[in-house]
Amino acid sequence: MNGQAQESGYIQIRWIPKYTFIERFLHWVHTASFIPLVVTGLVLYLPLLQPLAQGEAGLWMRLIHRLAAILFIAEPVLYGIVQPRRLWLNIKEFGLDRDDLGWVKNAFGYYVLGRHDDMPPQGRYNTGEKINGLVMIVSWAAFVITGLIMWFGKGIVSAEVFRWMVVLHDITMIVAVCMFLVHLYLAVAHPLMWAALVSMRFGVTSASYAAEHHAKWYYGPKRARELYQAKKKPTR
Amino acid sequence: MDRRNFIKLSGAGLGISLVSSHYLLRAGSAPQGLAILYDASLCVGCRACQMNCKSWNKLPAESTDRRRIYESPRNLSERTWTLIQLRSATPGQEPRHRFWNKQCMHCTEAACVQVCPTGAMYKHPLGFTAYDENKCNGCGYCTQACPFRVPHLQISNILTGRAKAARCTFCQDRVPLGQKTACVEACPVAALVMGDRNKLLEEGKKRVAALQEKGFKKANLYGELEAGGLHRLSVLVDEPAAYALVSGIQIPPLINLWQRIIRPAGKFVMGITIVGIIAAWVIIRRNIKMEEVE
Repeated sequence: MNGQAQESGYIQIRWIPKYTFIERFLHWVHTASFIPLVVTGLVLYLPLLQPLAQGEAGLWMRLIHRLAAILFIAEPVLYGIVQPRRLWLNIKEFGLDRDDLGWVKNAFGYYVLGRHDDMPPQGRYNTGEKINGLVMIVSWAAFVITGLIMWFGKGIVSAEVFRWMVVLHDITMIVAVCMFLVHLYLAVAHPLMWAALVSMRFGVTSASYAAEHHAKWYYGPKRARELYQAKKKPTR
Repeated sequence: MDRRNFIKLSGAGLGISLVSSHYLLRAGSAPQGLAILYDASLCVGCRACQMNCKSWNKLPAESTDRRRIYESPRNLSERTWTLIQLRSATPGQEPRHRFWNKQCMHCTEAACVQVCPTGAMYKHPLGFTAYDENKCNGCGYCTQACPFRVPHLQISNILTGRAKAARCTFCQDRVPLGQKTACVEACPVAALVMGDRNKLLEEGKKRVAALQEKGFKKANLYGELEAGGLHRLSVLVDEPAAYALVSGIQIPPLINLWQRIIRPAGKFVMGITIVGIIAAWVIIRRNIKMEEVE
């Protein structure tokens, strides 16, 4: 059973490493900056929160937004400085192949209906995680560029440019918040993804979880495909 | 609900929310209420309006940069809400001094009101664009949205971003009490008058016709249709461009797109995401037997 021994009465889980301490630490730094950024930003967006945007409270919201922004900007930069090889290793995982197409076809059945068997084998990051990662990288850059121009560029850049920055910051927020909501749901509430939160807390994932969800990472691409074909055949 | 129906329904919902928000914001935009009429053909450039504005609103003095012979200070600022500017003739034309009273135009479709996230900028029932300083959080969106570049930020701390917007308020602390604005009260030649906008519109057109008869062929009334109708109308003796004004200027299109389409659509998309996640969670909880999960 995928290197996992079940003896009388208890399950023994074999743990394999997935994230370094720095990666986990910076993930939570990112979380601790992103959530205050969203909250202090939404006061300008949702009429329900408008009282928090007004007067003295609003001045505090703007200050907190900027302080959190410093963390938000610094975190990926620190990662690149402290663990550049790990960063490169993670970026290399972002390649796409036919299994990503298979993921898209089967995602609804897999994540909503719980149909396991048709999902093609996935790498260290599955297609959804790759989409999440890409959205995060692009939205991080968009947030930082538009945000810094709004912070320091008022009166320096033209009003036209400033207005575009405000609007692009808004659009980026809408995309990033939707992605974050899905990410949060899969991490904390989705019954199949129980190991996600474990690996972001302790840096390890269970071997059987890795075999099930990240077969190309666990077995290697060739063996993963063989196993997938073998699993698929009887049902067809 | 299957996937096809879900997509259909969400598309319909998106359409309805876009259309409805568009009409809600469009409603009630016919310019009514008070206005100021500035007649550039009568203005003698004495700057009594500028002085009285500073005096009534308790605005501190500004140092001038000495680079302009007449204009002091050079432009509107957080401390100068009414300013007399001098527009000299363009080269090749007959030399003529054209005075221009620069102040808030009190647009009916006001960009500052549209972008203000706190409600500090708002349309007063009497028609002008009022301002509640206590609500302002100093974000400065108004300073970048105004097509006339009127609002300015009073920045008190660059590091923390502590700031307040400032601009002409149509003397909101005088006018509702039945008084005239400080600038109108001060004008010795009645180049500035205040009254019902519809009446001033007629008055302005009469003055333009009279000027044209006198030989000022390019005389025109500025502000009838600009930005949904301005509550600061201007009789100009020359084309608007000679006063650095844009004929027919409206609220920047990007601001309309942002406030009327992108923001409501964003709320809808985020709402659908939350509803979709909850629905997906309910379904997967039924379909999964936790004992079989690896």
